Amino acid sequence: MIEVQDVHKGFGHTPLLRGVNLSIPAGARYGIMGPAASGKSVLLKLFCGLLPVDAGTISIDGQTVTGLSESELMPIRNRIGMLFQNYALFDFMTVADNVAFPLRRRGQLDEDEIAARVSERLRRVGLAGSEDKFPSELSGGMKKRVGIARASIAKPDLVIYDEPSAGLDPVTTSKIYDLLLADQAETGGTVIAVSSDIEALEGFCQTIAMLYQGTIICEGDAGSIRDADNPIVRQFVRGDLKGPL
Amino acid sequence: MASRAREFFIGVGDTAMNVARQVGGIVILFYEVVRALLPPRLDLRELMRNMLKMGYMSLPIIALTAFFTGGLMVIQSGIYVKQFNASALVGWGSGYAVFREIGPILIGLMFSGRVGANNTAELGTMTVTEQIDGLRALAIEPIRYLIAPRVVAMMLSLLCLTIIGDLIALGGGLLFSKLILNIEYSTFYYSLVDNLTPADFIQGLVKSVVFGTSIALTSCYFGITVRGGAVGVGRAVNAAVVSAAVSIMLLDFAVTYLLG
Amino acid sequence: MNPRRRIKRAIERVGARTLDFLSAALFLWSVFAHTLVGTIRGKRPKGEVVKQMYIIGNKSLVFVGVTLGFIGMVMIYQTCLQFGRITGDLSRIGHEFAKILVHDFAPTLTAMMLSTRVGAGIAAEVGSMKVTEQVDALRMSGVAPIDYLIVPRFIACVVMMVVLSIFGAVVAFVLGGLTAANAFGVNTHTYFDLSGVNFTHLGLGLTKAVAYGMAIPIISGYCGLRAQGSSEGVGSATTAAVIGSSFAVIVLDFIISAFGLIVLGEGL
Repeated sequence: MIEVQDVHKGFGHTPLLRGVNLSIPAGARYGIMGPAASGKSVLLKLFCGLLPVDAGTISIDGQTVTGLSESELMPIRNRIGMLFQNYALFDFMTVADNVAFPLRRRGQLDEDEIAARVSERLRRVGLAGSEDKFPSELSGGMKKRVGIARASIAKPDLVIYDEPSAGLDPVTTSKIYDLLLADQAETGGTVIAVSSDIEALEGFCQTIAMLYQGTIICEGDAGSIRDADNPIVRQFVRGDLKGPL
Repeated sequence: MASRAREFFIGVGDTAMNVARQVGGIVILFYEVVRALLPPRLDLRELMRNMLKMGYMSLPIIALTAFFTGGLMVIQSGIYVKQFNASALVGWGSGYAVFREIGPILIGLMFSGRVGANNTAELGTMTVTEQIDGLRALAIEPIRYLIAPRVVAMMLSLLCLTIIGDLIALGGGLLFSKLILNIEYSTFYYSLVDNLTPADFIQGLVKSVVFGTSIALTSCYFGITVRGGAVGVGRAVNAAVVSAAVSIMLLDFAVTYLLG
Repeated sequence: MNPRRRIKRAIERVGARTLDFLSAALFLWSVFAHTLVGTIRGKRPKGEVVKQMYIIGNKSLVFVGVTLGFIGMVMIYQTCLQFGRITGDLSRIGHEFAKILVHDFAPTLTAMMLSTRVGAGIAAEVGSMKVTEQVDALRMSGVAPIDYLIVPRFIACVVMMVVLSIFGAVVAFVLGGLTAANAFGVNTHTYFDLSGVNFTHLGLGLTKAVAYGMAIPIISGYCGLRAQGSSEGVGSATTAAVIGSSFAVIVLDFIISAFGLIVLGEGL
């Protein structure tokens, strides 16, 4: 579904991504992990064309995404739902309007249906009844859950979650990942999750890749990631103090 | 209907209270800065660093502004020159307007927009990231170390910039009167020199010192009272620039009237 | 470092700066072009234009009133002082002041004031949205940020600039008259003489008001959209917006006034 070929991206004189190669099949639950500031969020933004690549190509469903203009990217983005790392909720709208925004933009449903879907989504993320609150009145965890609701409400083919469980307690984290699993079972779409929470990724994803110093150094089955050949990966996953990192 | 009227008055009252609180805060800051300056134990390095930064930072924009302003003065007088054939008065007219009013006001406004806003943004960011509290924890008094040098630096830089700006504005006037109104350089020059007194120039400089102090105090005040992260910093810069503009106009009138 | 490398490095730096400058200028131009297109054809949230008009207009009323009032007083004071010394005849003061207010000072000074208030406001709002990734979230939801954020402010600013310039002109003129009467004994009937104001003046003044009203939101919105980082980024964007807008006002004033003088000279 997503093909990433030899992508390079830097800021100013600092290179960040130095030749990333990925192939994410349709319908997969794919996880990307890596140390802080390794470029995970930047990579996600490159998928959606929010940032231009310095070199390389990215294609979604066979269609090349790199090098397209904003208006050409619109139909592609219609099929993608994204949760930003800092939630990026519109702080001048209520929670309900935030969650409904993607649906209203597509203009296919009437107001009653939209309201019903918004309520259902908010209930699923555990925020029933907060439709009329403003983002500034919510805690960080609550804002994250609103962001998840907004990303998934239009049942997109591809959903990208940047740190879906950071800052959430273990019980809520389990509920969130349960919800993401149920969503994916229903739509059959592709899910990409970026996280530093290895256990959650292991439980949720089928395949996990590790981004380190600008390239993908390892990609494998979630079940066997702890015993990977690469010592860097092993140290990262186990949280050992000793090792190459 | 009555409740609308009530809301209006509450709004007016709130605004008045806000303004009063801000003016009070700025006056208190002024008092604390003056206290920190006597006896004059100013951190000279901080002072020099700030002066360099502020002067260097604003010189290009002030120079360009002054240049175009000089030209503007000429264009405005151009109408009267054509009507009354008063080429001999253009030098005087431009010089008078620039030295006494337009120079200090426009350069003051540009300075407020560049240096004042930048200062508020810096202090605001420092407040938001708790660096000011950090200074206090290290037993360094923020007013003496951080604020007083900035206030003095802003006052002195604006003074220097106004002098430079005035001269550039006259240069621009000289050039544009030749280009647009066909007035000889010598006519312009003599008209200026013969009719203007040092008092005209000095009055403008007094204004720029007053403006500089006001801009410095407002920008520091709004910088250190920031609340609320990135959005708060933006709002503080907005408030600082607006307050500086209003105070420039008010003080301009006051000084003009007092020195008349 | 040997001199040849030094020269090479210097040229590279100049080249890089020029490229940066050109790409920034290009982006500014594209913001302008997109905004114009968006005004005619774009989709924007309902009621946003009116809301922005309220924010820009109502909230700046007192600010413009106070500043233009004081400027009016100062200008009349200075003029009376000088003319009193030279000719002693203050009868034409109001007549001339009205003319210059209409075709230059009212729109220009109002715009200088608005570039601080509105310019900083727009840059701060748009800038903090950019920095918290809300602008990216808009793009992800299929909305062009320019249509959604900048176009309503653009329309509102143009309209309000005209309205506020008129308001400012009135305030400055009236307060100037009061100053002339109180401090110099000028007869109010002699002062309040609008006979000199003709269509050329009105045309020039209106052109300036519209031009300023377009420049301020475009430049401030542009600065906001380029904000990066966090609070420092928003602060820099706001500073750049105020400076850029103020400078644009001065340059536009110069250009339009020069045009007026050279091309339409007789009418004035």
